[in-house]
This record gives sequence, structure tokens and C-alpha cells, in this order.
Amino acid sequence: MKKWMLLLILLVEVAFFTAVSGQSFHSGAELAGYFRSYFADLLCQSAPVLLVAFGMTLVLMTAGIDLSAGSMVALIACVLSSFPSGPGFWWTAVPVGLALALLLGATNGALIAWLDVPPIIATLGTMIFYRGLCFVVMGDLEKSPFLAVPGYEWLGQLGGAGLLVALVFILGGMGFNRSRWRREVLMLGGNRVAARYAGISVGRRIVEVYALMGLLAFLAALTFTARNSSVSASSLTGFELQVIVAVVLGGTRVQGGGGSLLGTFFGVLIIAVMDEGLRGAARWGEEHLPFKISHLEYVLLGTLLVAGVWLNSNLTPRRRQSGSD
Amino acid sequence: MSHGRLSRFLRQRLLFLAAGNIALLVVIATLMKQGGSFAEVLARCGPNIAPVVLAGLGMTGIICTGAIDLSIASIIVVAGTVFGILVHHHAPPPVCFIACVATAWLLSMANGWLVRALKVPAIIITLAGLALYRGLALIAADVAIPNFGGSLSVPEEVYHTPGKVFAGGMLLLTLAVALVWEWFAKTPRHWLALGSSEEACRLLGLAPGRILQSAFGVGGLFLGLGALIYVTQIQFIEPARMALGFELQVIGAVILGGTNIFGGEGGYAGTVLGALFLYFTAQVMTYAGISPYFQDAIAGAVIIGVIGMDCALHRKEKLLEELA
Repeated sequence: MKKWMLLLILLVEVAFFTAVSGQSFHSGAELAGYFRSYFADLLCQSAPVLLVAFGMTLVLMTAGIDLSAGSMVALIACVLSSFPSGPGFWWTAVPVGLALALLLGATNGALIAWLDVPPIIATLGTMIFYRGLCFVVMGDLEKSPFLAVPGYEWLGQLGGAGLLVALVFILGGMGFNRSRWRREVLMLGGNRVAARYAGISVGRRIVEVYALMGLLAFLAALTFTARNSSVSASSLTGFELQVIVAVVLGGTRVQGGGGSLLGTFFGVLIIAVMDEGLRGAARWGEEHLPFKISHLEYVLLGTLLVAGVWLNSNLTPRRRQSGSD
Repeated sequence: MSHGRLSRFLRQRLLFLAAGNIALLVVIATLMKQGGSFAEVLARCGPNIAPVVLAGLGMTGIICTGAIDLSIASIIVVAGTVFGILVHHHAPPPVCFIACVATAWLLSMANGWLVRALKVPAIIITLAGLALYRGLALIAADVAIPNFGGSLSVPEEVYHTPGKVFAGGMLLLTLAVALVWEWFAKTPRHWLALGSSEEACRLLGLAPGRILQSAFGVGGLFLGLGALIYVTQIQFIEPARMALGFELQVIGAVILGGTNIFGGEGGYAGTVLGALFLYFTAQVMTYAGISPYFQDAIAGAVIIGVIGMDCALHRKEKLLEELA
């Protein structure tokens, strides 16, 4: 699917939900102000998904998948939350969280690259394992030390979360798109054996990609905890599904060897706008529909995913599809 | 056991699981406190694992063809919701039971049909189904039941008979039929053929689409029975929260049982032993008095450990195959 189609879907969605939400505008400035706060809110709200989706795009490019992303973010957040709050949090909890994140990601990578476990199986196992560790760390408690840490709240606001997302997507994306590393990752996703014969250290690249996923999960955990201020062992269940749907919707193929970070960005926003929009349209739904409008989100999410992938594989020129197996 | 039937890999896995299950049973027997009866543990095992095993049999066939169904938990939710709605409107029990099985079968068939018609990988279609079907179940409950509060209760005992009285028997009977059918019938071998090479299937004159559909069809029947037992074992049907993560348990059992996630290799016996292995591991942890908070972590570590070890052992063979 072309990028402009994603953008078009996004704009249509924004226009539709703005109309449904019953806002009225009297001047251009009011309209601009509304959209400024709307998008700022949207960006902060979806920062964790955006960050993890960046990593998931790379993982899908290697013909892998990371089902453990949600558990990973949750586990990092849980570990962060068990440190005492205060200024010391920055040089105790944060480095520990970062190290843990890299370890968790690299564990996935090592299972896949060095033990040759299929990615979907390996990360399915670690998904259960990491979620289990969340319960080991937290029990039934819900902890919220984050807002007592000086400066932490900033990470959940437009300044911090927006900056992180911008850094990752603009600098990281640009650096990635120009790098030799990207070509190697794409090649090993397209054909692992050929990549090995071409002299690419396949195992190392895979571990690097999954470790990067860990790093992004750490950033996502920071923005998530800063915005939600509390975390429990069952936080973020189903998060990985949301991420995968967004990435696939953005035009990245699950068979590996191709993908687009810009598409991923739009994919996440399309889902976030829908999510926000349905929440905003709750009152309209109560009056006009025989069911809760929030339940419609599941249906739309599923339909969007199938439609996106179908359009993707049917609107792409043939020559780009060949060699997909 | 004829040697052409099962690969060396599958035979090794079955032996490992059988030995592991026996070892786990011995551990359970030694850990049991005075007064607990070992026969009771075995008797309880049937109804407890019936949903996972039955859904696992269906999943085995689907994975053998190289596809996968991630939406089975949501299908169970829809089947359960249909069941709950019918119970709410006082339909006679047999009607409710049949509707429950039929719903699961139809949705599974729909998955197969969508995979064929849209030519989109099964993992994507059923990932979409995972969200979509749960949404449909919630909407159906909202529409069909006035003032639906998120939970449907099924108080009358007669509606619980399949799950609470006949579960063990149903499981054994289905298992026997499935194993005999797998041994003698052609269809399961077609699934394996499709999972090995779609191209070769087509060249042989087999219709890949129809084979895939049959895997989803047979899978739907097993899933329907599993759903019926699952739904009739619980007192409250909550479409939003029910069966969350059930597909992971099932896929875990199937993979542990030696079925290749990419298709072309696998069988029902392995799935049953795999499900038993996971269940007994959980039981050992309960009897050993391990805190429930540790149980998920240990279960995950067991899955990773067994499969990781296994994949590492086969790494050399795979690399050699790559060269050929």
C-alpha cells in the first residue's frame, strides 16, 4: 500500500471522528488550537506503541516476530517500580532497567540465532516467561513510585515522549535507512541462507535486532510509566497485538525482507486515532447503537488488519512480490 | 510401530515426553500428602485437560499444513456467548450444546476460507480474528441480552453436564477416534504433504486449497468439542475476559508435542503427551507448594528449555540440510 493511502486513511479518520465528537469551531485559531492539543495528546498516548513498533518493524524485516514485546515492557516497568522513588531513582533504577532490557532482548535473539528456535515459538515462550517474572516481582501489588521522582513526569508529556519518539524515528530512522546494517538485516530476512553465503554474520545481526527491540521496550516502559504513573503485573497485556497490527497495517510484510518505518508510524497513528475517536464517540453511541461502541474497536482492528494486508499484497507491483518465499 | 510412519525426531520426542510424564507422575505421587488419593489425581486430569487437548488436536492438523490459528480463544468466546445467550432465553440444553459446537466449527471454517480467498498468511488472518471475534461476541451479547452487564451466568446444572459429567469420557472417545483416524485415513497425510511442499502437492494433483480447508474443518470440529467442555465447566461467561491466552497454552502443547511450527511434521499423539506434560508440571508445582506467582514463570521456562534444547540438538542436521 502506498504511504499516501495510509495518510489519507488517517486524515479521513481524524475528520470523521472530529465531526462525530460534536466539537464546534468558530475561528481558524480555535481549530488550530484543538488540533494542536489533540495531536500532542495522541502522540504522548501512543508513544510506547510507536517506540516498540519501530523495533517490531526491524524484527519483522528479519522474517521474525516478537510476541514477548508486551511482557518485556511490563517486566521492565515492574522492575523499575520496585526501586524507591526519589532523585536516586535516576542512577539506580534506570541503569538497571536498561541493562535488564538489553538482556531480555538479547535472550530472545540468542534463542533464535544460536539455538535455532523459530522466532514465533521462542518469543511465545519468553512472552509467558517474562509475564511470569512480572508476577514474581510484583505479586498482586500495584506500585506507583514514578511521579515522586523529580523530572520523571516530563517523560510522559509532549516534551519528553515527543522528543524520544522524534529522536528514534527521525535520527534512528534516517541513520537506519542509510546504513549497511539495514541492507544486511533485509537480506537475511529475505533469504537467510543466501545472506550467510554472502558473508553476513546472520546470528549476530539477529541478536542485535532483538537487543535493539529490548532497548526500545525500555524507552517504551519509561514513557508508559511516566504517563500512567502506576504499573501492575498484568499491565500491557495484548500490547504486542496492537503493535503487530499497526506495523503490518503500515505495510511491513510478515514474511520478512521488506518494510517501512514511515508506514509503521502512520499505522500506529491510524489505530490510535480510532481508539481515541471511539472513546470520544461513546455518548453518540449510547444514543444511537444497541451495543457499547468501544466493542466496535476489536471488530475494526481486525477488519483493518485484514484489509491492510490484502491491499498490501494486491496493490504492490508483482516484481516486488517475487522471491517472497 | 512402523518406521516409515514417524520421523526419528518425532519418535525421540514422543519417548522423551512419555518418560517425562511418568517421571512427573512419580514426583506427584511422592509429593502427595497423607489422605490424598493418586487415583483421584488421574481422574481429575481428564476433565481438566480436555479443552486444551481437544483444541490442540484441531491445532495440530492446522499447524501440520503450515498454517496456524491464533484466534481459537476468541472462537471459544463466541461459541460461549452464543451458548450463554441461548441459555438466557431458555433454549433446551441439546440446542445450546449443538449451537456452541456449530458456532466454533463455522468460525474455524471461515478462517480457512478467508486464508484461501484472500491469499493472506494464516497468522495474519487469525491474528485479526483474535480481535474481531471477541468484538463480535461482545456486540452479540449487548444486542441479544437487555442490560448486559459483562457476564452471563449459567445457574442450572443440566447445562453443565458436558463439562462436569461427560468431559473425561468425551475426551477419551474423541482421542481414540482421532488416533485411529489419523493412522488409517488419507486426509492427515495430505495435511503433512501440504505442510512439506505446496508446490509438490499441486504437481501431484492434490488441491492445496481444499486440503487447507479440510484441516480447518476438522480442526473446527475438535475446537467445537473443546469449546463445549470449556464453556460448560465455568459458571459465568464473560466475553471480555474469558479464555485469555488459551491459544498460547494450546500452541505450547502442540509444539512441545513435536509438531513442526512450519508444517510437514507432527501428530496427535505428541500433542496429547505435550498437553499432559504441561499439566503435570503445573500439578507438581502445586503439590510442591510453590507460590502461584512463580508458576507462570516456571511454565514459560519449561517450554523454552525443552524446545530450546531440542532445536539446539537438531541444529547440525538443519545446517547440513541447508548445504544439500
